[in-house]
Amino acid sequence: MNEISEKYSNTFAIVASILALIGMGDAIYLVVHSLNGDQIPCGLTGGCGAVLSSQYSEIFGIPLAFFGVAAYFIAFCLALLTAFGNSKLWNIFGLQVTFMVCFSAWLTYIQAFILLEYCQYCLVSAAVCCSLFLVFIISKLLKK
Amino acid sequence: MSNKTNNTPLIIIGAVVVIAIIGGWWLYSSGNTPKKPVANSNSVAKSNAGEAFKTAPAGAEPSWSKGAANATVTIEEFVDFACPQCAKATPIVQQARAAYGDRVRVIFRHFPLDIPAHKNAYDASRAAEAAGIQGKFWEMENLLFKNQSAWSPASLNPRPIFEEYAKQIGLDTVKFNDDLIGMMTTSRVDKDKVRGRALNVSSTPSVYLNNRLLNIEDITPDNLKKLIDAELAKSQTPVANSATNTNANTPTN
Repeated sequence: MNEISEKYSNTFAIVASILALIGMGDAIYLVVHSLNGDQIPCGLTGGCGAVLSSQYSEIFGIPLAFFGVAAYFIAFCLALLTAFGNSKLWNIFGLQVTFMVCFSAWLTYIQAFILLEYCQYCLVSAAVCCSLFLVFIISKLLKK
Repeated sequence: MSNKTNNTPLIIIGAVVVIAIIGGWWLYSSGNTPKKPVANSNSVAKSNAGEAFKTAPAGAEPSWSKGAANATVTIEEFVDFACPQCAKATPIVQQARAAYGDRVRVIFRHFPLDIPAHKNAYDASRAAEAAGIQGKFWEMENLLFKNQSAWSPASLNPRPIFEEYAKQIGLDTVKFNDDLIGMMTTSRVDKDKVRGRALNVSSTPSVYLNNRLLNIEDITPDNLKKLIDAELAKSQTPVANSATNTNANTPTN
């Protein structure tokens, strides 16, 4: 029984690390975008320009994407270390992705109800956060 | 052997960091290329829209403009008040004009986009026009751009905020509110939009320098200066010495 649950844990942790890498790639793209100071004209990009240049796209003048890269990198490290046997880290991973999914929900709410525009890169990030959270929840449910 | 196993995640993490840095750097440098100065290059202007300019309706007349009517360089800027890039570009264009005096003329055109996020842009344009009726167009334009984030979220009703701005610049607010929804302001904004559509404007800011559409990357103080210099150099016309008002709050032709 222990072996089976450990095997599951490993699989979930590996899936989670791959997902975190995808999220990290997405966030890196957005960081580069903000570093380049890319000017996206309004009206051309299906809302990405409006979202990424809005007041909600940064905290204390730092683009949210920077925090995204850091968060995904930490999630990746935690998931990877879990996959290599540090199973205690899985709960810290769970705590972190719970925070990430809540924050993502808030950002998606802003896009849907305040800005009334969506940015595809932000939606990819929200989807990755949800997936990470689901992976964690399923792993916990299966353990029971 | 067990040491090797323990090191594997660290090696993977290290590899991810290296790949992320290299990938990020590659993206950064490839994205930077179009930002290099572009003076004297024919690629600066996306297209020569000269033909469309011959047939396009005039827009609101007289237009809101600064600089001499017979200036060597005319910059026509189609703007959406809710567009963050317009809030950045407009002062750059105005500063460039100010540096050249009457040799450069800037014409302001409304182009509120029909997208949900910019729901309040149309009213903002009308607010600027309503302020213009009382001689304070540029003051309102400045306030609208400066406080864009305060009134532009589509979930807000912007009119009380506009009324507050009208008070700040000393307008008769009853008249301002009437004018904001009046035929005159609406028709002026619509005329500018019709002109924009005829010129194939689809995004903002759309800035035309002597009838040529500029790339958004060119709307920086340095690049714009180089482009204006190039246009002035092309022209053999003596420096304009017009007495046309440069900052007056009445529309000028």
